[in-house]
Order: sequence, then structure tokens, then C-alpha cells
Amino acid sequence: MPGLERIDSRRIALRAANELVSGEVVALGPGLPALIPSVFLSESGVTFVSESGAVGYRAPGGSSVQGEVPHGPRVVDSSGQAAVLGPGGSFLSMVDLAGMIRAGYVDTAVLQPSQVGADGTFSQWTSASTPDLLPPSASVELSRGVRRVVAMMPHTTPDGQPAILPECTLPHDGIIHQGVIVTDLAVLRVEQHGLLLTEVAPGWRADDVAALTGAPIRVASALVEMEFEVPSLLPVSKVYSSGLDAVRDMPGGSTVMIDGFAGPGGMPHYLMVALRDHGAKELTMVSNTAGIARVIGFGTPPGRQAIDHSILIENHQIKKAIASYPVSPSPARPSAFELAWQQGEVEIEVVPQGTLAERIRAAGAGVAAFYTPTGAGTLLTEGKETRMIGGKEYVLEPALKADYCLIRGHKADTMGNVVYKGTSRNFNSVMAPAARITVIEVDEIVEPGELDPESIVTSGVYINRVVQRPADFSPYE
Amino acid sequence: MNAPAIYSKVFESPAAALEGISSGTTVLLSGYAGVGVPESLIRAVIQTPVQGLTCVCQGAWPHGPESVDLAELVAAGKVGKLITPQGFDPAQGGVVKDLWEAGQLEIEIVPQGILAEQLRAGGAGLGGVFIPEGVGTRFQHGEEVRSFEGRDYIFKVGIRADFAFLRADAADTVGNLVYLGSQRNWNPPMAMSARITIAEVDQIFEPGGIDPELVVTPGIFVNRVVQTV
Repeated sequence: MPGLERIDSRRIALRAANELVSGEVVALGPGLPALIPSVFLSESGVTFVSESGAVGYRAPGGSSVQGEVPHGPRVVDSSGQAAVLGPGGSFLSMVDLAGMIRAGYVDTAVLQPSQVGADGTFSQWTSASTPDLLPPSASVELSRGVRRVVAMMPHTTPDGQPAILPECTLPHDGIIHQGVIVTDLAVLRVEQHGLLLTEVAPGWRADDVAALTGAPIRVASALVEMEFEVPSLLPVSKVYSSGLDAVRDMPGGSTVMIDGFAGPGGMPHYLMVALRDHGAKELTMVSNTAGIARVIGFGTPPGRQAIDHSILIENHQIKKAIASYPVSPSPARPSAFELAWQQGEVEIEVVPQGTLAERIRAAGAGVAAFYTPTGAGTLLTEGKETRMIGGKEYVLEPALKADYCLIRGHKADTMGNVVYKGTSRNFNSVMAPAARITVIEVDEIVEPGELDPESIVTSGVYINRVVQRPADFSPYE
Repeated sequence: MNAPAIYSKVFESPAAALEGISSGTTVLLSGYAGVGVPESLIRAVIQTPVQGLTCVCQGAWPHGPESVDLAELVAAGKVGKLITPQGFDPAQGGVVKDLWEAGQLEIEIVPQGILAEQLRAGGAGLGGVFIPEGVGTRFQHGEEVRSFEGRDYIFKVGIRADFAFLRADAADTVGNLVYLGSQRNWNPPMAMSARITIAEVDQIFEPGGIDPELVVTPGIFVNRVVQTV
């Protein structure tokens, strides 16, 4: 419309930022979405994730970060522009990043499509001149893995043609199932029945916007003008006051992963005691051993017993164990699990350690199933689907996920970023992403920014609850 | 009694570290937006007579006059095929686009997460994986689609390569690697999935000189270490 002004990129970013919710994990794609961190005054209250692998980054030069990392690590955003890490930020490799997205840990993706169809399909970073080479970047994963997409885009192409169409004319990269489109003219909700115009740029009328939109749109009865306030979102602390508080809502019948290798070290002893106190029954327990630290027992003071998975078995809370090492190394000293199994109280599924780790990893990375050579041709894989790949036999194994996961770290910050110590890392970092609710017990809780970002092994994105193991807690009873 | 000598993986120069590379080799190259790029190794390859490399990398976008990147390797006529999530910047064009349009360079676009998972699968000894991305898009490529718990997944095979060129901040002489910031990007999955993995680093320490809790890529995956020049 001649005479009417379109809103600029910064105000598109401001409006889009108002779609975000405190505590969300937000993936920002290249282009306009890269402007979003810059509209926040200081604390954004959300965790920004870039396809470069940066987690928890900010815009450089923001008021609270100026001078923070003058000679620090080089951080880039999805547009390849310099960014800085905020307190509690960390780095992922491309494979961990893709897994995080695929497994559904990113709540919202903010992308800049070049075209959006009324059916929600979109194309990104495309030009009709090189149709075979349209670089999809990470938008293919993002549109599949996230709950919600915020699209930021000019309402029309540089030559004035509508960019919002009945369907994309370029090959599409993904589908917006639930989301909103913020343009330089309007805000449109992507709904099952098509597009709903909810806001217009100042001075614009619904008819003006409709005239520049290629797809049919419905106009909301409560159509309003777009506003551009700086969003104020607050960070969410994941710290719980006690172990029992952190496991209290676990229903009976849950599948729960509990880390640990063999000996008494590196286990969430405090959380296991909390789970015993909570008393949830009929649990399926996924763990490397089904509790043999007690029978191995090295370092146990005389007259006492190491706390391990056995305490849950003795309390009749476990219905089934999925483990790689369910029995005691010594027939003379059977484990609590063996005794319960002999009584017919529990079921067991034995999975080789590497396959167990890989099945858990698959769940945490959004991989449904994989072909592994481990166990092919042995009793452990009898009846399972096999496949020859490159002349070698592989067995199909499914992902293994859980409702809850109880793990142990050395230190965590209040956002749930974790560092481990020595071999206590074992199954912790593999299990953390594989459960709906992951609770971690640590020796020390620190403020975001106190952990060296390069030392963070488990991103806080995977951790829901952080509990401090009391200083006087004993792993023996 | 003499202490057993620790085998050092350090090579004297990037050129020396390229031993065994030949025309037609598949090379994995780390780097994202000019960060974590094995620049010295790329320069060294340009000096060799090899041609027709298949390069797996984030893309061949130039990142300013000071950075050496894939675009230069392509411009030097060393690359026959790129397997990449990003290709080149269609708006900027340049030599990569020219060679592609002239039919002298093949480009296969693979979305970032699919490529990462295929490399990881190859590196972890898996035959293949069922992953959800790309279902119903042009990246489905007629591959097997199977439903798990009501959701569709595509079968993708694990991939491995002849060489991987990594870029890390520091290594010890047995190849344990520490990254800095966004440098980490493609290095960890690529380190696992090549027959010969070469790490170009800014600093080299004796074993024990790196905090073990900071090591991201264990030396087990790294065959050669070379100081960046």
C-alpha cells in the first residue's frame, strides 16, 4: 500500500520475541531470527540454541555482556555472526545438536522461510534459480522436532510477489504444525484450517494485508495492531529442595533409568533412597547392573552395606529390570535382584552393555531404531530382525526411553548444566537425554557461569531437576 | 629399566600429515562459518597434485579474506564432489557456483542432522539408523520409511570416509583433543568415522598436559596431529 510503512527488521524481531516463554529452549535459524537475542535488554530467560552448536548464547554488546568475553572462545550464531556465551551456556557438536532437536528438547524454532504455504509447508533459503541446491540448513530437523515454529519473514518477495501462498512453489523443507508467522505487515497464526490474521502493522487494514497475501486468510474477530515491547522473561531455576521433592510425582508403573557402573561410586545414592521413601511400585528399572555394588562392596565400612539398586528391589518396588549385568559376580553372594528373581518377583531383560548404551542414546537423540553388529548370531538376538549391510550382519535394536531418570553428577548449575568426575560419568551422560523427567544429584550446586563451558558434558537442556546431595549423606547404611 | 616410549602421533608439517591421500579420496572436513576449519591442511592439499576429492563439509561459503575455507579448495580444482547441508550461497555465487553450473563440480545436499547422524552411525559401528527428519520432503530420496510407535522414520546408512581433517584448540601427542567455543561443530562425529583422522591444532602438549575432564575427542579416534601454521 503506497504511503503505508512496513515495520523494520528490529521490530519484527521484537514482535517475534514476544512469542517466547520463560524457560523455553529456542532454536534460532539464520537470517532474521539471528536478531532475536539482540532485542533482550539483559537476561533473556530462554536458552537460545544455534545450528552452530552454541547453547545459551547472546548477542554481542548487549548491556550485561559487554566486555565479558574479549578474548574468550569464539562463538558464532546460525548466520555465522559473532555471538557471546551467556552464563550457563555451553557447546554441542553437530551430532549432539541434531539429537537434541530430534528428541524434542527444543520447544520453539524461529526460522526465516522464503515461502510459507497455507498448509504450513515452508521452504527456507531458497531461490528458484538453483532448485537442486536449496540449502536446507538445520530447518529440516527443526520443523520435525520442535513443538512450535515462529516464522519471521518479509510478507512479499523483493520483486513484490506474495511469499505466503496457497502452497509453496519451491520444494518444501518441512511443515509448521503449530506456529505463527511474523512479517513486516502482520501476524498470522498457522492453524489446522489455514491462516488466521490476528495482528496488522500500525496503520494497515486487514484488506491491505490480504491483498499482499497469496493464500486465503481468515481475519480474527479481535484483530489488533502489532506492538513492540521489549519482552521480559525470567530464568527458571531447576533446583529442588530435597531428593524426595524431586521424585514425589513419580507414578507407580513408571520406567526409570538409574545410572551406575559396578562399584559403589558414581551412583545417585541419595535419589535412590528418596525413591525408596517415595515408595512407587511396579517400576521398570533400566540400569547397567541390577544392583551389585553391595555384593562387590569394596570400600564398605565394616558392618555396613553400600546403597545401590538393591534397596529398591528389597522394598518390592521393581517389577522388571533391563540391565547388562543382572547377577552377582560370585554365586556365593547372590544379589538382591537374583534372590527376587529366584522368588519369581521380578522379570529381567538382559542387554549387552554397548547395546544398552546405544539403545538409550538412540532414545535421547530421537533415533527410533538402529542396526548394530553386537550380538548378531548369538542367543541375545534370537528372533530379532537382521539385515546385511555392506556384507556384514546387523541386528535391529529399538530405542529405549524412560519416564524418569535418576543420575549423579559432580557439580551442576541452577540451569542444570552438569560436570562429572572421573569414571562416575559412565551412564549418566547417555541416560540424561533419554527420559521425560531427568533428576540429577550433585555434590555442589553453583550459579550459571561458574562452570567452565568447555567442561560441561550434559547440557542443562536435558536436566529437569537438580538436587544437592546433603554433605552428611552416607552412601552406606 | 627404561619407561616404555609413548607413541607420538605428531607429524612435522601439514604436508607430511597428508601421507596417503590420493585423487578420488573422500575427506571429511570440520568447520562452521569459518570457525574450526582445518586451514593449514586445506592449504597443504592445494599444494599437492591430488584431484577429484569428495569433500563432506558444512558448506563452501567464503568467510572473508582472512579465512581459508572449502571454497578455496574447490577453486583450486581439487574437489569433484561436495556432500554438504549448505552448498554455496546462491545469492553470492562465486567460483563454486561457476564450477557447479559448468558441470565440473557435483553437489549433494544432505540436511545437517541427517549427515551428522550418518557420520556418527558409521563412527559408532552401526549399520544404519531410522531417523524422522526428511520424511515427506525432497530428502526422502525413495529410501525405506518405517513406522515406529505411529511415527514415520527414514532408514539412513552409517557412512565412513578415508580421511577426516579436524581443527581443535589443543591436542596432546597421543591425539586427545580439546575444542574452543563453536570450533567443536563437526569435529566429534567426523573424528570417529574416518580411517585416518588428522587433527590440526593450535597447541600440542605432552600426555597429561590436558585436563582429562575437558577432552572431548579421545586420542583413540585420532591418527595424526599437526600444529597449525
